[in-house]
Amino acid sequence: MKLEGRTLRTFAATLLTLGVFTACGDDDPPSGNNSVDPPSGLTVTATSATTTRVTFTAVSGASSYIVQRASGAGAFATVGTPAGTTFDDVGLDPNTQYRYQVATVEGSRTSAFTAPVTVTTSASGRFAATLSAPITASRTLFADSVYTIQGYVRIASGATLTIQPGTRILGDFNTPGSSLFVTRGAKIVAIGTAANPIVFTSSQPVGSRKPGDWGGLVIVGNARINRNSAGTSIFTEGPTTARQDYANGTDDNDNSGTLRYVRIEFAGYAETTNEELNSLSMYAVGRGTTIEYVQTMAGLDDSFEWFGGTVDGRYLVSYESGDDHFDWTEGYRGRNQFLIAFQSQQIPQRAGAGSLSTDPNGFEGDGCENTRPFCTTFAGSVPFSNPVFANFTVVGFGSAFTTSSGGYGAVIRRGAGVTLINGILARWPRTAINIRDLATDTLRQRDSVTIRNVLLVENGANFDAPGGSNVFGQQANFASNNIVEASGTAASLFVSLTPPGLDWTPSAASAARTGGLATFTGSVAARVSGLFGGTSGIVGTSYVGAVDPAGPKWYEGWTVYVIN
Amino acid sequence: MKNRSIAATALLLGAMAAFFTLSPEVSAAQVPTGRIVGRVIDRQSGQGIADVGVQVVGTTAGVMSGVDGRYSITGIPAGTVSMHIRRIGYQPKTITALMLPANGSIEQDVALDVASVQLQTLEVTASAERGTVNEALDRQRTATGIVSSVTAEQIARSPDSDAASAIQRVSGVTVQDGRYVFVRGLGERYTNTSLNGARVPSPEPERKVVPLDLFPASLLQTVTTSKTFTPDQSGDFSGAQVDIQTREFPARRTLSYSMSMGYNDAASGSQILSAPSAGSEWIGFGGEARKLPSLVRQYGNFNSNISQLEYNRLVRSFRNSWTADAASGRPNYSTGVSIGGEDRIFKHPVGYIGSLSYSYGQEVRENEERAQAVGGVNGTTQSFNAFRGSTGRTSILWGGLLNLSTWIGRNSKISLNNTYNRTADNEARQDSGFYDLGNFDIERTMLRYVERTVLSNQLRGDHVLGTRHTVDWAVNYAGVTRVEPDRSNLTYGFIPDVQTNQPVRQLLTAPEANRRTFGDLDEHSISPSLNYKLAIGPETRQTYLKVGALYRDAKRDVDTRSFSIIPQNLTEAELAQPAEDLFDRYSTDDSDVFRVEPYLTTGSYRARERLSAGYFMADHPLTDRIRAIAGARVEHDRLEVTTLNKSGTEFLSGLNDTDVLPSIALNLSVTDAQNLRLSASQTLSRPEYRELSPLLYQDAIGDEFVFGDTSLKRALIQNYDIRWEWYPKAGEVLSVALFAKRFSQPIERVFVASSGGTQISFVNADGAENYGVELELRKGLGAFTERLTPFTFFANGTIMQSDIRPGNEGIVATTRDNRPMVGQSPFVVNAGLAYTSTSGKANAVVLYNVSGKRIFAAGVGELPDSYEQERHALDVSVSLPVWRTIAAKIDLKNLLDYPYEISQGQVTRERYTAGRVFSAGLSWRP
Repeated sequence: MKLEGRTLRTFAATLLTLGVFTACGDDDPPSGNNSVDPPSGLTVTATSATTTRVTFTAVSGASSYIVQRASGAGAFATVGTPAGTTFDDVGLDPNTQYRYQVATVEGSRTSAFTAPVTVTTSASGRFAATLSAPITASRTLFADSVYTIQGYVRIASGATLTIQPGTRILGDFNTPGSSLFVTRGAKIVAIGTAANPIVFTSSQPVGSRKPGDWGGLVIVGNARINRNSAGTSIFTEGPTTARQDYANGTDDNDNSGTLRYVRIEFAGYAETTNEELNSLSMYAVGRGTTIEYVQTMAGLDDSFEWFGGTVDGRYLVSYESGDDHFDWTEGYRGRNQFLIAFQSQQIPQRAGAGSLSTDPNGFEGDGCENTRPFCTTFAGSVPFSNPVFANFTVVGFGSAFTTSSGGYGAVIRRGAGVTLINGILARWPRTAINIRDLATDTLRQRDSVTIRNVLLVENGANFDAPGGSNVFGQQANFASNNIVEASGTAASLFVSLTPPGLDWTPSAASAARTGGLATFTGSVAARVSGLFGGTSGIVGTSYVGAVDPAGPKWYEGWTVYVIN
Repeated sequence: MKNRSIAATALLLGAMAAFFTLSPEVSAAQVPTGRIVGRVIDRQSGQGIADVGVQVVGTTAGVMSGVDGRYSITGIPAGTVSMHIRRIGYQPKTITALMLPANGSIEQDVALDVASVQLQTLEVTASAERGTVNEALDRQRTATGIVSSVTAEQIARSPDSDAASAIQRVSGVTVQDGRYVFVRGLGERYTNTSLNGARVPSPEPERKVVPLDLFPASLLQTVTTSKTFTPDQSGDFSGAQVDIQTREFPARRTLSYSMSMGYNDAASGSQILSAPSAGSEWIGFGGEARKLPSLVRQYGNFNSNISQLEYNRLVRSFRNSWTADAASGRPNYSTGVSIGGEDRIFKHPVGYIGSLSYSYGQEVRENEERAQAVGGVNGTTQSFNAFRGSTGRTSILWGGLLNLSTWIGRNSKISLNNTYNRTADNEARQDSGFYDLGNFDIERTMLRYVERTVLSNQLRGDHVLGTRHTVDWAVNYAGVTRVEPDRSNLTYGFIPDVQTNQPVRQLLTAPEANRRTFGDLDEHSISPSLNYKLAIGPETRQTYLKVGALYRDAKRDVDTRSFSIIPQNLTEAELAQPAEDLFDRYSTDDSDVFRVEPYLTTGSYRARERLSAGYFMADHPLTDRIRAIAGARVEHDRLEVTTLNKSGTEFLSGLNDTDVLPSIALNLSVTDAQNLRLSASQTLSRPEYRELSPLLYQDAIGDEFVFGDTSLKRALIQNYDIRWEWYPKAGEVLSVALFAKRFSQPIERVFVASSGGTQISFVNADGAENYGVELELRKGLGAFTERLTPFTFFANGTIMQSDIRPGNEGIVATTRDNRPMVGQSPFVVNAGLAYTSTSGKANAVVLYNVSGKRIFAAGVGELPDSYEQERHALDVSVSLPVWRTIAAKIDLKNLLDYPYEISQGQVTRERYTAGRVFSAGLSWRP
């Protein structure tokens, strides 16, 4: 249906431009109204190998515009709904022809589309460079080049790797497991823009990329973890020849650099079974580091994983993970606000890269895994894992596929603390909230596991059922915490819950528009202050979920939801 | 299977009968004559003496002894004869009362004493002489260094069925898992095994260890454990050098046949788990049917894109066998035949011995417990992922040897020794318990089948050149294989249903859940060696100078691959089907269910080791009673190890070292019956091949992740030994030994923490010491009262202590510092009481063995070390003559059925009992 409408619109728009129509017809079917004009002066320029800028002349009275894109001769799809007359499209492929068309929206009325304008993105960076040796001196990666990471490349202590906006960095498919390790004492300064994000992706051609094509981005900081190994090394994942010691950190304010407007795609190669690299692994990363506007897509293991440390984050998007979306352990204490996770499928991984998880969860929190050396008893490892996640929209896979375990919105276990607040957990086939064991429940009773103001919808169960093997996350334990189940479907809560046009803005009558805790008090207030080392903290909101109904749509422009 | 074993017996019997009837009978001569064969040896040294005149008194029959002191006189008139033996430098001897049957032959060994002046001839009877010879052949007394040996005679009287059980009667020896030998608390790394003097390669992919149960007892002549180093031995030595000598041929043709049936109180008659068999498993050839499917091999490391259709075909190419059978247990069974003798072929006397043995056994481990330990409250440990189940195992062991030797002239002996042994273990294990990661119960089934073989060929020459020169040379070929084809792991989970929360039994889909593993190891080496010995000085106080060289070129190829078969997108009900149905049903061409992932990809490697060694040593009499043995060995070792990572990149690592290893020893004859030995030496220990590779792999045996270190160095060890020994009578001994060893940079297995958990690696520890006391006693009880004459009591015990400091550099160890070395028991005691009837035909022995608790694995972080608990074993064996040349033997093994148990803090990590074994058998010597 949709396709048909689009085709007709296109057809109509084409005819219009050709001047066959002298007046707008009534047969523009969807919501078109001949009293609204499409914008004029549509111009599209390739701003880089992966980005374009769409500009047009304003139409008076317009409330917003619809920008649609087609790849080559393909079908059009909406890529943005800007209010202004400039739109930066991102995540494109180099040296590829695209067509754009724009329509005007005025209240509930939409115009016909302009005639399509064709543009070809510039060839991927004029220069190609390979990163294979350790980076021992500070250097910059320039946007005019495409860099290929070959093997396990580390940035040595003392060196800073600066990456220009719009730079593409490819993990070499032919050197399995290729990864970038930011070692303790080194920095990565990868600051993109919404229009020109920095993209880490597979070196495979578009259409053949798969989870596990390359390893991932690993950052090792110098903050504390709770495996108290007193002088003894603990190694990160990755091959024995490349991995790093992340134990015995001393500085919770340590700074490993900045990631801003960065996408990490198709990572997660496993050198050894059960040793998959995460898309973004943060080991003992300190709160001097800035992680914001980061999207992971189609990784084979977790999207974001924190092993101890204190790094804060915001505006994080996890789109289709091979395992968990947000995973923490070993004493992670950072604060995070505005997080989105979406799972609708298990994407077949690169052959031989590792295995899809059999226990994928939204949040998976551990205090310290008791099988790991130096994790002291079941909940005795200090500092406790005790992060904050506020304003999250974490959408699971419902019945799209089944797994032998996992499928929880949030699993809190092995003595982990957490504050989950003002969020949405949707479509988790098992249980939305699962407190796994006595050690963790003890922390809950001591107010270290705080879950409140959460909207639940379409989950297999909301809480742990009495009598099962999981008994600690029972509803009675969260009686007055404003954890409520929304009526209707998950899809009805949002403007669009269908890729690629995902729009997490609460829909008009969405239950997510209310129910948030606007003012933090007591222990919660204490935990959220001083985000990114500044004076402000995580702010309370009257809504729940990752997006303010009043905007901005902070994910727009730099995130992509197309697996290719 | 049962029919097959009977068929095997029939085959053996048939072969034996055929040989016996076809072999040329010694034709009856007109005048009844006979033959006397034997050896002349030095009573002090136990060495054969060449050029000794052996004359039958009153006849012209006489010869000179040849290499090794061997002689053979034919055409002697039957009846009671005497023999006169003489050589310069020795007291002459006359042996009387030799009863020579018509057309028969007898064997008579003679021991001579050194004499500086010509003395009167000593006259002894034939039977008396045997005692002297026995004493002379006591290797322990006559050795240059400190050795302990178990002889064929002792083995025959014990219930020991293979070399592993025989060697645990030696002082300071502990045997782990019924296979692996620890000497003086030093691990397998420090023990070498050789067969007829030639190194046996390790048939295990990740360890330097030779499972001694590979050698059937019936093929053994002696198992000698040397505990001190002399330069003519291999330099990578510290705990012991175990040398297995295969049987020597008898002087006259003998044929023997034996068979026995056994009953295991846990296995026989009860329902036991077994893995479905494939191929000719009954003779240990099940590998072919279980080979890695060629289709799977084609995909290499699975780095290219694979379509669903291809995945389906891959799944179908695996043998669809996952579930254990339950079969009723069968009796244990063994049979053997051997023939040996000395005949003239083309006028050359040729000695020969051929032997074949076959045994079949079942073992059950009931109520087997396995668990991990994790930290609990207040420093306690708590059990984690605890499983309970049972294991059924069927073992086949067969082997044969063919040793031939001949003389060229009187002074050269050429021998060809060939040994082949094969074991096959078919094992099924099933257990269940709570699986923490999944948060539900699981049930695991493992089916595995392992074949090991050892092949050894040796061509050896011994030459006596004149009266002062001795040369020996050998070319050895040794090959070992270990094949573990198609091990299957299958896991079902009891997973709570999403709706009802009730557990539903279903196939688990995690990558480690359902796997097939294929392991293949092959090592072969060729090793020429040459030794020259020169005797100088007067006959009575000779100095021996010995030089020699050895080269060994060994090549090893290991290929281990494991594959996960992962069902995706099946419903609970579909996953609840029996495994075989499920794998069949969803692997059709049009299915969209399975993926196949390589699980273990770094298990393959190649290695080549080239060792060149040369030595010089002198054995010099300082006085009549003190001999000094000193010398040095130089070894140059070049080792290259090539490992491949998952994407096919090669990693090269290796060693290239030259070491000089000095050794000095003093042997004092305090009296004729007392020796005092002092020795000091330097030896080394090299890393095992795989320990040099940086790639992470999963230990196929213990399922732990292990990686090596390319910078690992060989360790140097200083050894000091003192032993006082007293031989009050033939067959009696009392000895006390002290030993101390200092290790510099010993290689120690350590734990390494990673974000994924615990891994294992190897470091050069800072240092270690190991010291202890050994006591040995053997005493005939006749000394106390006449009636106890048939009884002999014997006991040996070792008390030892060690201390290792793993250190804190490089790859950092997370184990406790200053702890005993892994595997070191604080004490080991063997004791026994033997009965031998005055006729010598009936005998019985009761054997007791205990070793104190020892560290199985060092603890990590706050966890305590895990200990293998003290274990007591009691065995009884009785042999009786039945009728003519038929004898019966009854063995009662493992009478206490003491549990095997490993514990860590409060947690029982592993525990099982193996059951008592009662067996009875007959042997026949026509």
